[in-house]
Amino acid sequence: MTTATLEHGPAGSAADAFDPRSEGQRLIKAWYADLEQANERRQPVANVFVMGNAIEILRAFDFKLVFPEINSLQTGVRKASEEYIRLSEDYGMSPDVCSYVKADVGLMLKENRHPAGNIPKASLAIASNMCGTFIKWAEIWERWLKTPTFVLDLPGQRAAGWQVRPGDAQHASDARWVEAQFTELIARCEAITGRKLDLDRLAEIEERVNRMVFHWNNVMRLNRACPAPYNAMLDGLTFIGIMNVYRGAEEGVEFMRRLDEHLQAKVARGEGRVADEHYRLIFSGTPCYVSMRRLVELFETWGGVFAYSDYLTFAAGGMDATDIVYDTSRPLESLAEVTALAAHRGLSNQFFAHERLAGQIRDYGADGVVFHGIKSCRFVSSGMADTREYLSRRLDVPTLYIESDLIDPRYWSDAQIKNRVDAFFEALHQRGGGPVGRKANEERRASA
Amino acid sequence: MIHVAGIDIGSTYSKAVLIDEHGNVVGRGVRRTGFKLAQASEAVFDELVANAGVARTDVTYVASTGYGRHTVPFRNTQLTELTAHAHAAVHLFPDTRTILDIGGQDIKAIRVDGDGRVKAFRLNDKCAAGTGAFLEKTARYLGLTTDDIGPYASRSTNPKPVSSVCAVFAESEVISHLASGVPAEDIMMGAMVALGGRAVQLMRRVGLEPGYMLTGGMTRNVAMIKALEENLKDTLRVAPDGLGQLNGALGAALLGLRRVQKLIAEGRPIAAVQTPADGEHAKRRRWSAIAVRRTEPCRGDGCSVATKLQPRPSAVAA
Repeated sequence: MTTATLEHGPAGSAADAFDPRSEGQRLIKAWYADLEQANERRQPVANVFVMGNAIEILRAFDFKLVFPEINSLQTGVRKASEEYIRLSEDYGMSPDVCSYVKADVGLMLKENRHPAGNIPKASLAIASNMCGTFIKWAEIWERWLKTPTFVLDLPGQRAAGWQVRPGDAQHASDARWVEAQFTELIARCEAITGRKLDLDRLAEIEERVNRMVFHWNNVMRLNRACPAPYNAMLDGLTFIGIMNVYRGAEEGVEFMRRLDEHLQAKVARGEGRVADEHYRLIFSGTPCYVSMRRLVELFETWGGVFAYSDYLTFAAGGMDATDIVYDTSRPLESLAEVTALAAHRGLSNQFFAHERLAGQIRDYGADGVVFHGIKSCRFVSSGMADTREYLSRRLDVPTLYIESDLIDPRYWSDAQIKNRVDAFFEALHQRGGGPVGRKANEERRASA
Repeated sequence: MIHVAGIDIGSTYSKAVLIDEHGNVVGRGVRRTGFKLAQASEAVFDELVANAGVARTDVTYVASTGYGRHTVPFRNTQLTELTAHAHAAVHLFPDTRTILDIGGQDIKAIRVDGDGRVKAFRLNDKCAAGTGAFLEKTARYLGLTTDDIGPYASRSTNPKPVSSVCAVFAESEVISHLASGVPAEDIMMGAMVALGGRAVQLMRRVGLEPGYMLTGGMTRNVAMIKALEENLKDTLRVAPDGLGQLNGALGAALLGLRRVQKLIAEGRPIAAVQTPADGEHAKRRRWSAIAVRRTEPCRGDGCSVATKLQPRPSAVAA
């Protein structure tokens, strides 16, 4: 792993001048602008999902990357998702289908005209079993657009409490299984592009990912500070967008490096996202992109900040685990090993979240956990009841369950959600906050 | 003389309670809410002071609760009905641990500790099948008024189950039963059994801790209480003297009184209850997210939304 970027000083005027939100928006805009030209320039294009996607291989072949999930969530962020969803429902999709899929079908029905720009036609689509819907979604592209798909079969967690460790027999076996599939994928990419895989190029990309992940992990850790320098479910969503879209690209490394510096400077100044931070919370589940700003506002009105979210782990493809580092001296084997490991981490983060969340509550000094179930995917919300039960009964951690959707605004009920949030804070207030958060607040006040 | 009012602006009814400095109820008022929430709060407040035989200026403090709590223009403070119900329930019956509140458009299960603090709560999601609106719709279809529901259903000898989990589809089921010649009282009781089942299921989700209490408008419905108790296999306490429907307003008033006592103890001023100027209602007619935000800050004591019941820790430190 290259550590050259560590030589940069942690705080300074450059760090202060950096505005992560506007820089993140600029990068996303630039990415869409670049995509718009891809078909015209006859560049190869691949549809990929954020989890289990072999981006490093695709980048080595100079594929332009389309993230249909990000396209869909961007329709939500830009308040246009309902139009796309309704188009697909008018076509005949059931209201129960994932709203990401429906927004994408709406996009196809609108001949790929997206609010951020035209989306190019893909010459390859990578799906995986990281989400059951991915495979069905890719089948729609195959039927409608004749996009050839490549499905990666990534071994998941075998049982609760079972954890794969780098180098153990199970991991080695899983990695070989994944590597064999990568070899097949490389042959497909070579056929599409007419080029041979350049292993040095792959190693360069992996080295960039290593640097990016290093800074990403710092960014996650920095929010353990009290007050938290950013809100994991507002600012964090911008960060994870860059983490996914620019993974392995120099722009992504630079963004993460500057973000790391910027947040270090904020922490050094004792500057928090919320001016008067009272409650530190963890958000578990997927965001409600259409109303995320409103939801965060409901919490911040009470001085509540989301210090961490497991979404920032699993939606980053599980890449944030500290032992996930590419060995660039053997790029393909290492890619397979890391992919097998990241798949385990990403999946188990959702399905066996009890102890992991308990650890995060300690690490981030959280006063409570907010679960967000979504109508789009009962599957991803399935473990929430058990986890909530465990945290409430066993650990006496206050929890709140709210429900809406990823991007379907019809499932957002402002009065109902506000009522639940207010009641949650009243209960937190009555018990004087959580023990960890309260202690951290007291220490902060004492030192001030 | 201290008088504290609790005003509960619910989706169907607006309720108000006036208490004195000892927590005794000295006045009450109930009106249908309608869609002009600020006007409803004014009307129920006028009814309250008339019932108590006091002048509006005699009211020291107003605590609002319910979905329309932010729209009460003359409130000193606001709190959710979950906190309000919990506090009043333990005030009335100290060993209450699990509360069920069936409202017009939602249903709440609340688990509380011995001090009336909320330990856990669950609300029905975006579905009216477990709410008072479900019974009202059924009654309307059978040509009954809300007050008739209980006595009418009590005549049932063979309740006809309403199995649908959707209030709209349940209506179709009611039509189907009627067409099959099922007596109306059996359909009405069947609807109550269905509602009772869903309500108790929600209570299970917070954890059934003995010391059960029913609050809200359903406390007036003897048949509904019976259906719930049969499902729960235990008794449900109901506030005496018709206070069941007013439980949320009572809780708000009691918490308001606590706040007043604290302000007095600290020697801090209590802002006078305002009388709205002409045209004040017109500003607060809309009920939407925007309207909520616009009417968010509450009057008095320089407090923001986050400083409702007690001063913030930082304020204490300062």
